[in-house]
Amino acid sequence: MSREFDPVAMEVFSNRLLSITEDMGNTLIRSSFSTNIKERRDCSVGLFDAAGRLIAQASHVPLHLGSLMGGVQAVLATYSTDDMAAGDAFICNDPYLAGGTHMPDISIVSPVVIDGAVRFFAANIAHHSDVGGSVPGSISGSARTVFEEGIRIPVIRIARGGAVDSDIMRLVCSNTREPEERALDLQVQVATNARGAALMEEQVERSGLARVLGAVDDLLAYTGRRLRNRIAALTDGSYTCTSYLDDDGQGGDPVAITVTAKVAGEALTLDFAGTSGQARGAMNVPESALRATAYYCIKTLLDPNLPPNGGMFEAIAIEAPEGCLVNPRHPAAVGARSITCNKVARAILGAFAPLLPDDAVMAAGHDSIPAIVFSGERRDDAGPFVYLETVGGGSGARATSDGMDAVHVHLTNTSNLPAEALEHEYPLMVDEYALVPDSGGAGTQRGGVGIARQIRALQDGIIFSIRSDSHVIGAPGVFDGGEGGTAKLFRNADGPDREALSSKVSHIEMKSGDSMRLETAGGGGYGAPAARAPTALAADIHDELISREKAEQDYGIELVHRALTEEEA
Amino acid sequence: MYRLGIDVGGTFTDFTLLNADTGQATHYKAPSTPSDPAESIRKGIPAILKRAGVDGTALSFLGHGTTVATNMAIERRGARTGLITTKGFRDVLEVGRQLRPHLYDYTQTKPPPIVPRRHRREVEERLAADGSVLTPLCETSARAAVDRLADAGVDAVAVCFLHSYRAPAHEQRIRAMIEKTLPDAYISLSSDVLPEFREYERMSTTVLNAYLGPAMANYLKGFFESVKAMAPDTEPYTIHSNGGLMTAATARDYPVRTCLSGPAAGVVGASEVARAAGFPHIITYDVGGTSTDISVVRDAQPAFTSDRQVAGFPVRTPMLDIHVIGAGGGSIAWLDDAGALKVGPRSAGAAPGPVAYGLGGTEPTLTDANLVLGRLNPRALVDGAMPVDAEGAKAAIEAQVAEPLGLTVDAAAFGMLEIAIANMSRAIRSVTTERGHDISDFALFAYGGAGPLHAGELALECRIPRIIVPEEPGTMCARGILLSDIVHDLVRSAIARADRAAWGHVCGLFEDMRAEGEARLSRDGVETADRTYRYFIEARYVGQNHEVRIALDTVGRDGFDNFVQRFAARHTQEYGYDIPGRPVETVNCRIQAIGRVARPDARFQGGADSLDDAVRDRRAVYVGEAQGWCESVVYWRQNIPIGAAIDGPAIIEEMSATTVLLPGQRATVDPMGNIIIETGL
Repeated sequence: MSREFDPVAMEVFSNRLLSITEDMGNTLIRSSFSTNIKERRDCSVGLFDAAGRLIAQASHVPLHLGSLMGGVQAVLATYSTDDMAAGDAFICNDPYLAGGTHMPDISIVSPVVIDGAVRFFAANIAHHSDVGGSVPGSISGSARTVFEEGIRIPVIRIARGGAVDSDIMRLVCSNTREPEERALDLQVQVATNARGAALMEEQVERSGLARVLGAVDDLLAYTGRRLRNRIAALTDGSYTCTSYLDDDGQGGDPVAITVTAKVAGEALTLDFAGTSGQARGAMNVPESALRATAYYCIKTLLDPNLPPNGGMFEAIAIEAPEGCLVNPRHPAAVGARSITCNKVARAILGAFAPLLPDDAVMAAGHDSIPAIVFSGERRDDAGPFVYLETVGGGSGARATSDGMDAVHVHLTNTSNLPAEALEHEYPLMVDEYALVPDSGGAGTQRGGVGIARQIRALQDGIIFSIRSDSHVIGAPGVFDGGEGGTAKLFRNADGPDREALSSKVSHIEMKSGDSMRLETAGGGGYGAPAARAPTALAADIHDELISREKAEQDYGIELVHRALTEEEA
Repeated sequence: MYRLGIDVGGTFTDFTLLNADTGQATHYKAPSTPSDPAESIRKGIPAILKRAGVDGTALSFLGHGTTVATNMAIERRGARTGLITTKGFRDVLEVGRQLRPHLYDYTQTKPPPIVPRRHRREVEERLAADGSVLTPLCETSARAAVDRLADAGVDAVAVCFLHSYRAPAHEQRIRAMIEKTLPDAYISLSSDVLPEFREYERMSTTVLNAYLGPAMANYLKGFFESVKAMAPDTEPYTIHSNGGLMTAATARDYPVRTCLSGPAAGVVGASEVARAAGFPHIITYDVGGTSTDISVVRDAQPAFTSDRQVAGFPVRTPMLDIHVIGAGGGSIAWLDDAGALKVGPRSAGAAPGPVAYGLGGTEPTLTDANLVLGRLNPRALVDGAMPVDAEGAKAAIEAQVAEPLGLTVDAAAFGMLEIAIANMSRAIRSVTTERGHDISDFALFAYGGAGPLHAGELALECRIPRIIVPEEPGTMCARGILLSDIVHDLVRSAIARADRAAWGHVCGLFEDMRAEGEARLSRDGVETADRTYRYFIEARYVGQNHEVRIALDTVGRDGFDNFVQRFAARHTQEYGYDIPGRPVETVNCRIQAIGRVARPDARFQGGADSLDDAVRDRRAVYVGEAQGWCESVVYWRQNIPIGAAIDGPAIIEEMSATTVLLPGQRATVDPMGNIIIETGL
């Protein structure tokens, strides 16, 4: 390097870059219309250099970490930068043609032109609530190919010199179930990049192009160095771990996800050799989503505050055999990849366990993203409704704490809908929203417990569907910790006609008074149950988070007795 | 007559005594007494009265800001609390929004719930979303729940039934049962504390209120008694987190409303001082030892939020929207293992403090950097009362920052300053430009001990055209209390399609709330002429889950069209567009009932005949690589004549703060004693 590393300029610039991505993120969330973007914040924004290296990202869901990279690289592979002008914008979503993560996630990429040349790209990605395909919402666990999952958009130019191409816009929006909402949100996405471009231009005007480019190099080099230092501190060697999906979305046997983490000095490779072949259903994970999962795990395990940029990504190698669950062949369906991604995270965290100090290890969590969907007609003939919710569960126990009860883990972190809001909005009623006793894996530290959500139909003809997992295989504990409870689904759980259902049922028709009850899985325990502090065990028994019988079974009659008597004394 | 403002902070308790006839202010500072928060007040009141030479009977007003409730919540020292709720919902308190606190860091776990599961009891009863009774309250299960809590020995009980914001009868029935069984228990009903929809937030706010209730009542009793003994003619007030005053009785009923009390007073004070000086739009910038508080004031109205957390739990009562970041004078500079220079968030605080204070601090702080760069007086602070070790500061920066990075000491210290400024600037942009404000409309209002020290550089980084530095910036919160009005916030949920038919219902709610507001202000002894009301409706387009807040001057039966227009305009302002023709839904109706308190302005007393009389010293000040060290005049603030202009580089010192004037910046003192700096942008 000819120039010297300037730590002060790097830190100052890094804050300014974060301001720009925060500003873009706010613009996108503030101005968008659909609930998915505005309230669930299922979107991300980023800035790239002219070579397509990510320099800063504001991400509200880890599932989007680095996922803008695929789109930017596809833009660079399709068009020459000489053919781009200020005010241009490109659109894409396809996982096979344009580095997408699944069809509803649409990316918009815009060049930032300064002094007559493309110097940067501003980009954002947002989950659109429908992009066409065979089912409303465009995600069907049973889809077999991407052709069933909505409109496929390769990289195409959607704006030229600041003007949106209304022909392309009409084509895209006409292929979705809510064309007006799509058009509103896509325009906001284009405007978000324009805002980012203007702020980058201002930055260059203020500090000069050379200083800005120098600070970008410093920032990426620094991030890479910081991550390599963390990798170097790990025990050298390789370790393999396998996690399982209950089935491939079409039923059948559990599906294996195998990863080998290889650490040699400062080099880290994640190799997915041994993973089952691609799924018949939509549980496949395309490359962008696999990368996001890997980056999420590395940040979580090694350095939660590591800035997400190209410097981080370059320090990690990812290998996956073609045609497997995590590197499917065109045109395998990928819509329901998020559940698989959480199971990939389970495998990666498991593979790292022997490489990390014991106190940095975490047991498996519920590692699923169960999505329940109720649809039907609103009261008073006010039109149709679709209510979707992803339900949290238990997180894994750690050396110093029990797993968290009732949270989203890994690649998502999405809020629930309050019962009072739900009952106001839809002809549904919440019977119960509660913790699931006995679902936390036993251990010196226990796994977090799952959530029970029971919802009753108040009119005939409500349609219920679910995509869930962890109904067969529970969360493994670590260091002799116990397994977390599995998820369960019941129809009319309180009635004489109680019926257990499987994890991926769809289009079940409910009558007025029928209920559906989902109990999500718990997290795994950490350390031997016998070493659990008696006070902690007694508290769980008094709080009815564990029944007396289950406690005696998992922790032993003697420890339970001691816990309860010591407390009295 | 005299008026006294007291701000009980974490480290210091500040007192400001104002002579209502002459406008003359007296300041006094004493260490806070966390073990018995009322003690510093008991000792401080006679001390400041003595300093001003007046008797307690001369006090006509006494207001105080306190962090007692916040600290109790953070340190989990509240009452043993029980919760009674609807069957099927006792875990709402623990599930919350099912979010984990940090996306990547699992060492950050959810705080344990305030009420353990065993003390959360369910009762058979159920209301529908429209408030109609689906299941009547089952007296047997209610009795069992109350008895269980009685057996558990709780001192406080929160009651939160589903949809009770629509119909409080079931909660009121339970209150009667609790009062019988547990006559000494502190009781909070969700339909009283926060009759607003969304069960988790309402439950959390109600539970915290109950949790803080008993100890707060006790504290207020002690406070009240000691004040009465010293100043028999005053009714002491407490500052609400919304920046308004409340009587001791209101504070006893709603202790949760006092969280963030002190900083709110500072913002109210800042907005009043700025308005009097002719600056309706300001960004408040309060830099202390460990943190910096930032907020936006537009048209002399501080911004409100009802979306804040206290000790990790949502509290939905209206509060001033104050953004806090972990950067202050005590922030420590450190290098990470990949060669980056960071400043904060770790702070040396008051102990061990910056290296220069010689109290055992060994790690270089932002204050040390300011000393090394000649910005702070290199011999002593606080008007000579606090000697400092500039050499020690320099040695620490040299060894721990400059040498490892291969920088000169000047560049290292200036780098620390630049990094802290970059961090603070990001926070400023996040509350201004990122929310659609044009920053060039604003003035930066700098206070706290270290605000004026960094304001010049910060304004340059954020491109703010002017800075206001009030007199004695270190005592702004105590002063703000003297500039506050009595405020009651009332809310009712009215979730309904907004149309002419439903508007009558909305008007009815406002009439009820207005009557309640009248009654409360009358109870507070506010004269009719001093009462004003502000109306707000939170509304959204059908299908949205986010509301925008519309302020209305009045809500009359013929006001529907005005409301719809205001909604569209507000939606456009906040989100950049509106959707003509799409139906609108009202969600919450709010009233602020305001009782105006007489408040004479403080008047600037000082100012010498000529600027030369204000010159105290000269020293070199480092202003960056390009211009290096600049010889600068040091002025003593109290002697600067009104209207005199000072060009930077220059330093202005006073007892509680130091203002840095950079090259190209020009300062004048206005008739009220504020320093106004044009930043040259």
